[in-house]
Amino acid sequence: MSNRTCAFSWLIAASIAAASAAADAPDFNREVRPILSRYCFKCHGPDDKSRKGKLRLDVRESATKEAKSGAIAIVPGKTDESELCVRIFSTDKDDAMPPPETKQELTAEQKDILKRWIATGADYQPHWAFAAPRKGALDSVDAFIDARLAKAGLQRSPEADRATLIRRVSYDLIGLPPTPEEVVAFETDHAPDAYKRLVDRLIASPQYGERWARKWLDLARYADTNGYEKDRERPIWPYRDWVVRALNADMPFDQFTIEQIAGDMLPNATLDQKIATGFHRNTMLNEEGGIDPLEFRFHAMTDRVATTGATWLGLTTGCAQCHTHKYDPITHREYYGMMAFLDNADELDLDLPPADAAQQQRDREARAQKLIAELPAKWPVEKGSVDEAFHAWMEKESARTVAWTALKPAAMKTNLPLLTIQPDLSILGSGDITKSDTYELKFASLPAKITAIRLEALPDDSLPAHGPGLCYYEGPKGDFFMGEFQVSADGQAVKFASTTESYANNNFGKKKDTPVSAEAATDGDPQTGWSCADRPGEAHEAVFIPQQPISAAQLDVKMIFGRHYACPLGRFRISVTTDPRGAEAREMTDAIEALLAVPEAQLTDAQRGKMREHFLLTAPELDAAAKEIRALRQPSKVQTTLVMRERPSENPRATFLRNRGEYLQPIDRIDPAALSILNPLPDGPRNRLAFARWLVAQENPLAARVIVNRAWAAFFGKGIVRTTEDFGYQGASPTHPELLDWLAVEFMEKGWSQKKLHRLIVTSATYRQASKVTPAMLAKDAENSLLARFPRARLEAEMIRDGTLRAAGLLSLKMGGAPVRPSQPDGVSEVAYGSPKWNASGGEDRYRRSLYTFVKRTAPFALYNTFDAPTGESCIPRRDVSNTPLQALSLLNDVVFVEAAQALGKALAAAPGDDDAKLKAAFRNVLGRAARADELPPLREFVKAQRARFGGSGAPPLGENKSGGAPLPPLLDPKVFAGGDAETAAWTALARALFNLDEAITKS
Amino acid sequence: MSPFIPQPTPIARRHFLHDCGIGLGKIAFAGLLTDAFAASNPFAVKQPHFTPKAKRVIHMFMAGAPSHLDLFDYKPALAKLEGKPLPPSVIGGQRYAFIRPDAAVMGPQFKFAKHGQCGAEIAEVLPHLAEVVDDICFVRSVKTDQFNHAPAQIFFNTGFSQPGRPSLGSWALYGLGAETQDLPAFVVMSTGNGLSGGAALWSSGFLPTVFTGTLFRGKGDPILNVSSPAGVDAKLQRDTLDLVSTLNRQQLAAVGDPEISTRLANYEMAYRLQTSAPDLMDLKSESQATLDLYGCKPDEPSFARACLLARRMIERGVRFVNIYNEGWDAHTALVGNHTTNCKKTDQASAALVLDLKQRGLLDDTLVIWGGEFGRTPMVETNPALGRSMGRDHHPQAFTMWMAGGGIKGGLTCGATDEMGFHIVENPVHVHDVQATILHCLGFDHERLTYHYAGRDFRLTDVHGHVVKDILV
Repeated sequence: MSNRTCAFSWLIAASIAAASAAADAPDFNREVRPILSRYCFKCHGPDDKSRKGKLRLDVRESATKEAKSGAIAIVPGKTDESELCVRIFSTDKDDAMPPPETKQELTAEQKDILKRWIATGADYQPHWAFAAPRKGALDSVDAFIDARLAKAGLQRSPEADRATLIRRVSYDLIGLPPTPEEVVAFETDHAPDAYKRLVDRLIASPQYGERWARKWLDLARYADTNGYEKDRERPIWPYRDWVVRALNADMPFDQFTIEQIAGDMLPNATLDQKIATGFHRNTMLNEEGGIDPLEFRFHAMTDRVATTGATWLGLTTGCAQCHTHKYDPITHREYYGMMAFLDNADELDLDLPPADAAQQQRDREARAQKLIAELPAKWPVEKGSVDEAFHAWMEKESARTVAWTALKPAAMKTNLPLLTIQPDLSILGSGDITKSDTYELKFASLPAKITAIRLEALPDDSLPAHGPGLCYYEGPKGDFFMGEFQVSADGQAVKFASTTESYANNNFGKKKDTPVSAEAATDGDPQTGWSCADRPGEAHEAVFIPQQPISAAQLDVKMIFGRHYACPLGRFRISVTTDPRGAEAREMTDAIEALLAVPEAQLTDAQRGKMREHFLLTAPELDAAAKEIRALRQPSKVQTTLVMRERPSENPRATFLRNRGEYLQPIDRIDPAALSILNPLPDGPRNRLAFARWLVAQENPLAARVIVNRAWAAFFGKGIVRTTEDFGYQGASPTHPELLDWLAVEFMEKGWSQKKLHRLIVTSATYRQASKVTPAMLAKDAENSLLARFPRARLEAEMIRDGTLRAAGLLSLKMGGAPVRPSQPDGVSEVAYGSPKWNASGGEDRYRRSLYTFVKRTAPFALYNTFDAPTGESCIPRRDVSNTPLQALSLLNDVVFVEAAQALGKALAAAPGDDDAKLKAAFRNVLGRAARADELPPLREFVKAQRARFGGSGAPPLGENKSGGAPLPPLLDPKVFAGGDAETAAWTALARALFNLDEAITKS
Repeated sequence: MSPFIPQPTPIARRHFLHDCGIGLGKIAFAGLLTDAFAASNPFAVKQPHFTPKAKRVIHMFMAGAPSHLDLFDYKPALAKLEGKPLPPSVIGGQRYAFIRPDAAVMGPQFKFAKHGQCGAEIAEVLPHLAEVVDDICFVRSVKTDQFNHAPAQIFFNTGFSQPGRPSLGSWALYGLGAETQDLPAFVVMSTGNGLSGGAALWSSGFLPTVFTGTLFRGKGDPILNVSSPAGVDAKLQRDTLDLVSTLNRQQLAAVGDPEISTRLANYEMAYRLQTSAPDLMDLKSESQATLDLYGCKPDEPSFARACLLARRMIERGVRFVNIYNEGWDAHTALVGNHTTNCKKTDQASAALVLDLKQRGLLDDTLVIWGGEFGRTPMVETNPALGRSMGRDHHPQAFTMWMAGGGIKGGLTCGATDEMGFHIVENPVHVHDVQATILHCLGFDHERLTYHYAGRDFRLTDVHGHVVKDILV
């Protein structure tokens, strides 16, 4: 197993350096700063709040000045006069540094480095990662590697054999092994450009995007569920597919970045550019009952800052959430300055209508028209003539129709959401919402003798699920709950005689036990009220009748919203009538209502037709037939995806510096600002788009280095900087600093092309060398830091499953779309809240590439989890690579491998040729290479022995399946035995063994 | 070296290769396996900072949060105040999940009585616990930072409210290693309806993934994939492993990668797991008296069976066992909820203490019982949710109990005010509980660190004090 951190890597680098560096002066960046940073900066570093003795050691001018004590920490060239030197060697517990209570101690070697550094002048150098990368004299990957190897007296290994090479480069570029045919073709292709053509083919393959999307999704903390308790499914796979498309198209990495951070803000942003902003929508969403939504939004924001830091800057920005970074030059204030760029966005579900949406809509309407024309014929005979009924309806409804006057608020106030008046005098809510929202509206210039007040809850495309509410989590999207509707006239509370609503429904509890109504919103108890669950995207209304007609100069309306989740109204309108008959709530569109007010004789034929249609569609007598028509006219359910949208300028979100990083302790309002240690932000608007461009500006010393380093790590197992997520003072020093810089500059010069970068690396001789370990290598460079050989590495979880399925001939290469659920044993997903069942996908979806497996955060897919795949809860720049007994159990017994063994076993049994021919074929299938002579005998023996056992009179009894739950498919199908097919049984057993070889799950 | 970094170093592995060379022919295979494994085994037994009192931990996590006011912390004043709201000065700025801060008080829902020599006062629904009060220590003054289930459960287990940090069990394995290779050293059992915190509760976070807890399922294979598929008998399994081993050894000789040795060792361990796991789960060897003590039906998954299995696990060298019982979240009808949950858990929780004591295991096994927060003195009633006679989440105070492994028995630590709202004596923050658990295992919680993303992380972040009062 290997570790995610490499505490010793700088020591290794240092000792390598020591062998060649003759001078006494230690290298500041490589040797000195790591010690100062780790042991001293916490109290004598950038954070002025925790600084002790007014001593700062990260800046030379301060370190060489008199400190509070009067002593000088560093007197260059004079170790005896340097307090630092005195203190680190002191044995007095009051004087010793680091202080004994920190429980940290310097080693003798570390003390010696510091002493030599001071003795030789205490030279400070800027941190390598904060200076722009530059190209030096050398100009190829191999030149750098070879130069370094030569210094250590080592040499690059010879080129790997062809079978090893094609398997290696195939897994690396497309995440899949080559087919046996591809291996043989490459082995026999003696043209000088054979390898180059192979690389070209792989890089052009659609599977390339899938392989590299998986790496990117680790950083994006992609998952198909929201996380936390409820962990409900979320629609964000269109973002995943966008990543695959962008990588396959080799979108330049700077553009790839800008679209994901701020695609919505690009001029004339395309649908794809909006989908790309899903990157930062992959944060978790807490839907547990009763949470404070803004608190968890803040947690999502801290995740965004930390993820952006790790992904693009290789900085542990998250460390500055609570206080100024203890080691790196990032202040507490700068942390929130960075957050402010990302903070000013609304988070919405973007509709993704299918390409033929308009046509579908026309087809549905045509069908609806046809059905409407047939409606009169369906009128029940016993109810008399349809025309008479229509006439009666018109009379009745006309008599109930009153003239409503929509009121325009003179003033509006809320605790937080922004209310804006629309042209139709409806009021639209937007911005942040809480569990207890209050809207207060003032109306003046009122008609006298108001007999009824109408509140319309209206749909709007800007609202979750089209409204009418603003609820976006825990409750149904677009839900609202109005606990109180209070009216006062000239300061006097208005009492209501009656209240009606067109529709009311509660999302929670049994309907009969937990009634909701508009009337309940007038009872003084905010825990009871009006809600319209289950019919999002529709208009509803409530009508309140005052005990006495109201004549007042001013009307105040106060609405209180919310329950254990935030759910105010998103769009509403308040109207009044002075009709002495009063009014009742009813389901009626404005258009029909207006027509009902027109005397029948004055109606045009078209108007009459409209009313007749409305009548037919709402008549209880035709309800069954009308249902289908209503459904056809509903907006069709479209796929959505999670995106960002910049806030409108009238409602910017304020970002606050938080004391100790606590949500409940906002201190100062902070404006967007870039990290001062890096390239300055150009003049212009300071927004998310400017921030995105700043991240990938040519002048940014970090981004290109971080990207090429992560690419390097993907191929060689470790980065040139081991700590791929930390290029700060605490991070590891690069093993090949000049190579890192050369790659970074080359990457930018070649237009930030990831495909070109990958081609550059895999076509190097360094990449193509053999992986065999020799004693000389071990003696000189056991960790293979210098790459005298290619490092063998266990395959990633997804590659193991995909590779096995491909070897067995089962893999489906269908791309994109909603996530799928391959089989896994019962009891894996059930441990999550609500014990959700895992309903395995059937058909082709069972064998899709692992990229498409449904990612449930609180109950990760067991097989991937066992092989160190992340859970999507946080940004993972480096996966662990473990080696455990549970992995052995998975390979031996997991349903994926059982099915693969069965498929391959069946194919082998049916294949022509003798045992050796089949064994060779099996070997090729699973490992790519030809079997060596010494490998055939044990295989031969195994097949022979199993065939004898299965075929003999004493065939072993079928093992009882003790797994319980969903039965594993038996490895050896009883029917096979019934047919006496010892061949299939024996070859299935052999295939299973091959899938368990170390080499089968290793890139060598 | 000052920071505690017990990870197996690359140096150790280098030694192995250096000493053994690549010429494998000369070395007996068995010996090779052992050496290779010792060199790279992250579970190798390690010495903590000082001599530990506890070698292992069984943590019974009462997910959903039991009411301290109705089980452990008797507050007659609440009965007197019933129906009236608490003064705002008591509530402060506390945010609530469901209730409004002016909700009325609800009195204790069960009768309380004093038990044992120590006179611990607990509710009538815990008759079995009443029998062992002299062996356990009640901490009535635990408090947390979180008032929602998932964040509070994750906080208790990892010291942080968001997923991504290592759990208690992972830290224990990282620091101490494992005493068995035949079973996973950190086992998780869940006997309820699924957990709010999910797999983050036993995640290894940024520690190496091998320190993740292994979930034991109630039905079917206790460990995922531990059974061979139907059709594979013992002979075929052995033949298969032998073939795999032969070819892997040849590959090791050819390429010299020590990772192959580790894999060879892991296949042998997997084979042993296939025997040891069923053996662990087979309760036939337990006497009827023992089964009766726990109230356990051998073939029925239950909290009681999980407790008995936990004892069998620690007997076999398992280091850390989590038993989750989900379902205490009594927002409505608290009496029914807590009666049911006490019936499920009371007998077996007490039996575990008794059984461990009888077998001489209690002294070096730390037993922990408790939830993620407490419940409000105020009633939860909500017509729009169909709720009445419940209690909401209460982070300011709750009760846990601990026993064995260096904890004093017959003790009650800490106290709350007369409403059971605030702590008035010996506040014990969740970070303090964590520091104390690590202390019992022999660690200074400030020195058990792991370097990740630029800094040394601790279970207790920058907080935590060992609760010395409750230690032997």
